[in-house]
Amino acid sequence: MDRRQLIKWLKEPLKMSNKYSLHVVYFCTGCGIIEIPPSITARWDAERFGVKPVATPRQANLFLITGYVSLKTLKPIIRTYEQMPAPKYTVAFGSCPIDGGMYWDSYNTINHLDKYIPIDGYIAGCMPRPEAVFAGITHLWTLIDEGKADGYKKYRRNYSQYRSNQERLYGELGWPPRFETEGLENE
Amino acid sequence: MSSIEEKITANFDGIEVRKIEEGRIEVKTKKEALLSTLNFLKDEGYGHLGLVSCVDRIEEGIFELVYILSRYLVGGEVAVDQASLIVKTEVPRGNPTLVTSVKVFETAEPYERELHEMFGIVFSGHPRLTPLFLERDIDLPPMRKDFDTRKYVEEEFESIPPVED
Amino acid sequence: MVGMKIAGIIFSPIIGVITGLLLTGAARKMVARVEWRYGPPILQPVIDLIKLFFQRPPSHGKTFDYGLIASLAGSIVLVLFLPVGRLCPLSEGGGLLLITYLILIGPLGMALSGGEGANPYVSIGISRKLILSLGYEVTLLLILLSVMSEYDTISIFNVVRAQSENGWSLFSWPLVIPGLAYLLILPAILGVKPFDVASAPQEISSGPHVEYGGKYLALSKLEGGLSEFIGIALFVNLFLGGWSIPGSLHLPAGVLGVFLGVLVFLAKVAFVFSLNVTVSASFPRLRVEQAVKYLWSWPAFIGLVGLIIVSAL
Repeated sequence: MDRRQLIKWLKEPLKMSNKYSLHVVYFCTGCGIIEIPPSITARWDAERFGVKPVATPRQANLFLITGYVSLKTLKPIIRTYEQMPAPKYTVAFGSCPIDGGMYWDSYNTINHLDKYIPIDGYIAGCMPRPEAVFAGITHLWTLIDEGKADGYKKYRRNYSQYRSNQERLYGELGWPPRFETEGLENE
Repeated sequence: MSSIEEKITANFDGIEVRKIEEGRIEVKTKKEALLSTLNFLKDEGYGHLGLVSCVDRIEEGIFELVYILSRYLVGGEVAVDQASLIVKTEVPRGNPTLVTSVKVFETAEPYERELHEMFGIVFSGHPRLTPLFLERDIDLPPMRKDFDTRKYVEEEFESIPPVED
Repeated sequence: MVGMKIAGIIFSPIIGVITGLLLTGAARKMVARVEWRYGPPILQPVIDLIKLFFQRPPSHGKTFDYGLIASLAGSIVLVLFLPVGRLCPLSEGGGLLLITYLILIGPLGMALSGGEGANPYVSIGISRKLILSLGYEVTLLLILLSVMSEYDTISIFNVVRAQSENGWSLFSWPLVIPGLAYLLILPAILGVKPFDVASAPQEISSGPHVEYGGKYLALSKLEGGLSEFIGIALFVNLFLGGWSIPGSLHLPAGVLGVFLGVLVFLAKVAFVFSLNVTVSASFPRLRVEQAVKYLWSWPAFIGLVGLIIVSAL
């Protein structure tokens, strides 16, 4: 943990502050949400890493999707993701968002979450314990350090592709409205 | 004071009552007599409709509907016989229509909506048979045995291309 | 003296903002320690602020921006009228009466800005905040009235100077009674735990802040820290003697004295704030009608009795 290295703070304040101030919005899908209360309360205490749950997506920059994603919950996930302000990271819990997990042949569970929104990291396990959650968060730090956690940029670059994938599931998505995609690719 | 089994067989013709085990009694009734059976049982104190469910017996060509009733109080006092009643009735798969039981038990409303959505059973007289859980229209109701989930998943989800830069 | 005034205008808002931020961080650490956790670093709010200023959230219109700025500006102006140690740039111009008006600008700007966001949680949060302030403002006015009539002045600066000569008013008869009433309503003024009905994150998604993200959230956090500082600074000035040290010790004159005065003042602020944090870490949130019921029973009664005794003597 290089939270106390002043030189790094002066060199790249954006990266460092994004690393050590992860405000989390949880999406309570599936069984993973049961791992969240112990990891943010006294036993494991996520706040010492600067990880703090917030109540609205406008204040958050880390999005935890805690379990399988059914067709009905994917829509709010897309809405929540698009409401978060720009340097934002997504982490999916367990095997279900990776490839469907034990719901791989269900008519109502989408199998690959990263076809619809970009995912910066997966925490494997069914379900991951709080230690695994912290391992995932510290690994997310190294990803941010190396500049590899750039899912939000990828979403912008390939916005039309993501949007067409989403609309293949739902037909015409009325909300959220389409971004202006021109001129955003170079940012 | 006769037991509930005797009362049911005395009041209805062609009804099968069988004690499965302690506390669970199975009542098999005809499709036409379902409403009157439910009405009779409600008057006997079985005021709690716990579940309406459905079994797809594809070999016999029927849907078996299951209503689970329980009672706790009789005339304001705790009931001595608290056995649950499992009322079963059969609907042909070819023409799955049934009269709704919302007028007897209001709690049946969401269950019947779900059964309409998942099995395609039409409840005549139901106030709103609109979609409850599903986000999209599926041609064959997905809980039927002849619905091929793997084929559906491959056609609908696996065919979506992954996003690559 | 003019240089002193300019220094006060520059430094006292900066001191207020920094103290507010550090106190928020210290409060998070203290609450964590009460709950037997390790807790975040004390500088965590600063880290959050740096991150928030880099984010680019969507705006909801002009009133959304300017209401927030007006609220922050109102709090900064309010700090200028409060003596921070011996730094008191505008203390001759105003007094306690002015403060009772200025203290409303912060919530009002927040309400304007949140109303533009058109989120239903904002209006719930704002109405709860106004109901809560209705609860404590009667008592606050009673307390200010008793202080004014005891010292026969409306200037806070004169109140503090009188205390540095005659002893702190919290430990002097009869001002101890309004002092106690102020201590009882202080958590409600700060909006900390038993009285955080306005910004309850679990019930109404952090209330007035629900549409703020990025820069807006950063500005509203600055405003929150500043208004916490103001609530405590008013108490320290009125009842704990501002910059004065108990006993026969006197601060030296000149720049060193001003500096030491600010330090003594901030130490008192930190002490009072830590009292409130202990309260907030140990009590659950009240419902809004329970909060108003509490505020209108004991604190209002004690404040009224204090005013009667002070004006009778």
